[in-house]
Amino acid sequence: MKTLVFLEHHDGELQAGSLGVLAKAGRLGGEVAGVVLGKGARAAAAQAGGTVYVSEAPELEAPLPQPRVDALAQLVREQGFDTLLFAASVLSADVAAGLAARLDAGLNWDLVDLVEQDGQLVGKRPALQDSVYVDVGWTSEPRLALIRSGTFDAEEAAGEAQVEELDVSFEDFSTRARMLEQAHEESSGPSIEDAEVIVAGGRGLGAPDKFTLVEELAKALGGAVGATRAVVDAGWYPYQHQIGQTGKTVSPKLYVACGISGAIQHKVGMQSAGTIVAINKDANAPIFEFADLGVVGDLHAIVPKLTELVRERRGS
Amino acid sequence: MAVKPSDYPPPWRASDAIAAPSDPADERIDVGVLVVGAGPAGLACAIRLGQLLEQDPATAERLGDVPVAVLEKGKQPGSHLLSGAVVNPRALQRLFRGRKRLDELPFLGPVDAESVLFLTRRGAYRIPTPPTMMNHGNHVASLSQLARWLAEEAEAAGAAILPETAAEKLLVADGRVRGVRTGDRGRGRNGEELGNFEPGSDVVARVTVLAEGTQGHLTGAALERFGLEGDDPQVWALGVKEVWRVAKPLDRVIHTMGWPLRGGAKYREFGGSFVYPMGEDMVTLGMVVGLDYRDAELSVHDLLQELKTHPRIRRILEGGERLEWGAKTIPEGGFVSLAKRLHAPGLLIAGDGAGFVNVPALKGIHYAVETGRLAAEAAWAALQRGTTPSTPGALQGYDDSVRASWVWQDLKRVRNMRQAFGRGFWLGGALAGAMTATRGAFPPGNAHTHRDAEQPLFRTDRARRYPAPDGKLTFDKLSSVYLSGNKTRDDQPNHIRIERRVPVPLAEMWVRMCPAQVYELGEGHGDGSVTVEVTPSNCVQCGAITAKGGRLTPPEGGSGPEYQRT
Repeated sequence: MKTLVFLEHHDGELQAGSLGVLAKAGRLGGEVAGVVLGKGARAAAAQAGGTVYVSEAPELEAPLPQPRVDALAQLVREQGFDTLLFAASVLSADVAAGLAARLDAGLNWDLVDLVEQDGQLVGKRPALQDSVYVDVGWTSEPRLALIRSGTFDAEEAAGEAQVEELDVSFEDFSTRARMLEQAHEESSGPSIEDAEVIVAGGRGLGAPDKFTLVEELAKALGGAVGATRAVVDAGWYPYQHQIGQTGKTVSPKLYVACGISGAIQHKVGMQSAGTIVAINKDANAPIFEFADLGVVGDLHAIVPKLTELVRERRGS
Repeated sequence: MAVKPSDYPPPWRASDAIAAPSDPADERIDVGVLVVGAGPAGLACAIRLGQLLEQDPATAERLGDVPVAVLEKGKQPGSHLLSGAVVNPRALQRLFRGRKRLDELPFLGPVDAESVLFLTRRGAYRIPTPPTMMNHGNHVASLSQLARWLAEEAEAAGAAILPETAAEKLLVADGRVRGVRTGDRGRGRNGEELGNFEPGSDVVARVTVLAEGTQGHLTGAALERFGLEGDDPQVWALGVKEVWRVAKPLDRVIHTMGWPLRGGAKYREFGGSFVYPMGEDMVTLGMVVGLDYRDAELSVHDLLQELKTHPRIRRILEGGERLEWGAKTIPEGGFVSLAKRLHAPGLLIAGDGAGFVNVPALKGIHYAVETGRLAAEAAWAALQRGTTPSTPGALQGYDDSVRASWVWQDLKRVRNMRQAFGRGFWLGGALAGAMTATRGAFPPGNAHTHRDAEQPLFRTDRARRYPAPDGKLTFDKLSSVYLSGNKTRDDQPNHIRIERRVPVPLAEMWVRMCPAQVYELGEGHGDGSVTVEVTPSNCVQCGAITAKGGRLTPPEGGSGPEYQRT
């Protein structure tokens, strides 16, 4: 097996998800290399180990997929890679799909594991709302796979990266698209996907202004704020904080659920949290069936006290 | 004065769903025959057209690059389809005559034995199977699976199927139907254009076939626009069903009447339940109740939960696991509510949307397939003759062929049965028996239907009896919605039109009625009225709200349930 891992970087900083996939590729064995493209690629490549192909060609400056498809297709042609792995992101999904079309290759997506079974590479893909795992394979080479974000942890790079410069020849049609504008959402505190602690609020808060209780506790714990669909729907909190089936999937070390009943639609977005603490006045709320610590009581009294205690302990 | 839903009409008019083509001519999508809805009617139509055009390349040539296209609002064909279902194979056999054997159709098994039970709270009494309900020779199927199979056949026959595409407006110009406009995608909650906004497009066709099924969005608008509505208003029932994996196979199809519904005429609770085997290790069971009910506390979702606590039913599910859940309305008006005409210039209407359901037999899929097939033949005949299908009368052949068919005969014979049950279970049952014995001759004439939304509401304390969800046998609505596969984007415009401020009993009726927890009581105003809060992304597009005083419109294509085995 000769594997190439697409390493995504933002401003020269390699993404943890890509490094996780690189570590996984190393464990699968065979020859493994990475590829970093665009401005800052050389600096980023140093953060990985092993062979890393780089190109800082101006055509690769904007995060657009087609020029990257050119680079990867060329690597497959010239170096004979038979397996290409991507950590799923908006850009890498575009690149993987474009590459699959270019090479007429099979692409499996949303994988949460890769194993070798009877000499064959087999991907594991959750289906039916993550209730079962499906084994997926490829009928031809090269094999393309998109790995669900956050699946594999990054590992310390073993040794220095061996950087190989890549001279990409671009197709005419690949450079037609132009990036007009890039916008970043500014947020203070950790984003909810990366946060180790999340304090989330539901309808049990009673009113939109009561979200300050949740925000205060999150701040004291150094965590992020989450919300249920019901309160986002009601306009109490912005959509980017929504956790659940139609929001974000999170797995913090600590999840504090305030006034959240724990409907299945919410549960599927946070059930893999390390420790789940639930505060709810309804003792029959489904959340108590899967919380590690359940507090039946009035969150309006409990949460401010808790915040105060956390602040005292932390001496802030 | 008792509250009636019809006193609080939704902010919606049929004209909202009708427009003239607006895209420049070179941006329109041009197809030959456009079918709206990849259900049994629409797909049968597409398959038959494929068969006819294969024999007739000259006509096919004239229809352009895409002779037949099928629009489907669900994620894929079958995503929004739900039925019992015990299927009479007759229409499918006609459609595939000489091409498929009966054992090649995607059925889950023939009906070997059947029981009709009258239930009381604890007892179950077997009663003779009414002749209309005899199912010998029929087959159990999942309509969702059947549609996926039919869609493959339709594609093989040359049809282009466009899933995740809602037909939002009927395009009409000079009194003739020109096609449909598809819905926009990527709009935010207040209608604003999001980053991934894609506008809809005009899809123009020589003939447009509406096969939208129950509560068809454009069908409703077309019936009104062209004056096609039947003599009597259409009425509906709401069916809620579950699919279970079970420990031991069920050896028969079961229908029940009686408990947990009440038989008194004043309640107007017409309906019953079904339990069908789906192969060796699955069963499906459901509860169907006419939407002319009056009790604001009636919830078909919760009646189904209650039904499962009956010893006779619980025994079947023991040791099993609920796999899937869904809900859908059924047009129940029958013969008297059928569209007066099934065509307009450039337009044909087939299947449930036109009202082709036989309530006493609990069947409509075979009528959908048959009327879809006849629509294809009429469209082809007009195109082949070289007549312009959009001239008035060019598609009259469709009405003629439906009226001459067994579908028409069947429905005429049972035309008064559903209405008889408005007089209570026992008298209704006796009258239905007399109608069967005389093949519909007694009583002479037609019994009339009354709009579901015109039934005055009252309240009993039945909600107290609904079982508390235990997460094993009985479930809450949100858990149910989850098992419909619904993961609709939350931040899209609300597709449900209702009067938001209504009297409390009406708001409560909507809250209970909706099996998917779309409606909740909001703020009270101190004058007996309340604001209704709406969570449109829970909606499984069953259509009950349209029957009971609101209006369901199609959300962004690809939204709603993703049924697999319903």
